[in-house]
Amino acid sequence: MKFALAVHSAPHTSQSAASALRFARALLAQGHELYRVFFYCDGVHNGSVLAAPPQDEADLVGEWQALQQAHGLDLVVCIAAAQRRGVLSESEAGRLEKSAANLAPGFELAGLGQLADAIANADRLVTFGG
Amino acid sequence: MTLHIVSKSPYGCNALTECLATFAEGDVLLLIEDGVYALTDHKWEAAPAGSVYCLRADAEARGIAIPEKVEGIDDTRWVELCTRHNPIVSWYK
Repeated sequence: MKFALAVHSAPHTSQSAASALRFARALLAQGHELYRVFFYCDGVHNGSVLAAPPQDEADLVGEWQALQQAHGLDLVVCIAAAQRRGVLSESEAGRLEKSAANLAPGFELAGLGQLADAIANADRLVTFGG
Repeated sequence: MTLHIVSKSPYGCNALTECLATFAEGDVLLLIEDGVYALTDHKWEAAPAGSVYCLRADAEARGIAIPEKVEGIDDTRWVELCTRHNPIVSWYK
């Protein structure tokens, strides 16, 4: 079955972002397809390569990247939500004349249309928020 | 037949109350994260018998005993529940 996930919460704010990762791992382990993970609202912080949690805490950004590499996942960060919160790709940083970019490799910026596309093409959408 | 996922404590917000108000025949309720604190109260008993699940790991992490009428599940069963229900509605406010 094809799943799509919408992640609305930042790492370390609540358990929600970690739950999304856990659920993604569980569905892939059962042979289901993960069509796309769409990071929206505060969820865009999951795509910041500058996050540096202590070594004894989960590194959600790194774990998403590892999962992306292992399964070729489509990790999409909402571009409008990301600009507001300072999560920028090299090209966006250049366009907006900012001095640094921090979008983690393995993630890409795109619009809400990618969420609509995921809802249309996946069999299930599971939202992680709060 | 909706799968309702409640992830917030009933002591901090109305997610569980509002979820239960929309409950229709065949729907099931899954308590995750701080949503498992609902098991220390009686509100969840408004859901039909056999329709309430919780993530066992999240209950254990908080030292909450799972009542007999609630099925504690692991992540694998969570995915299975999602395949058997559509839509999946998350309640977190």
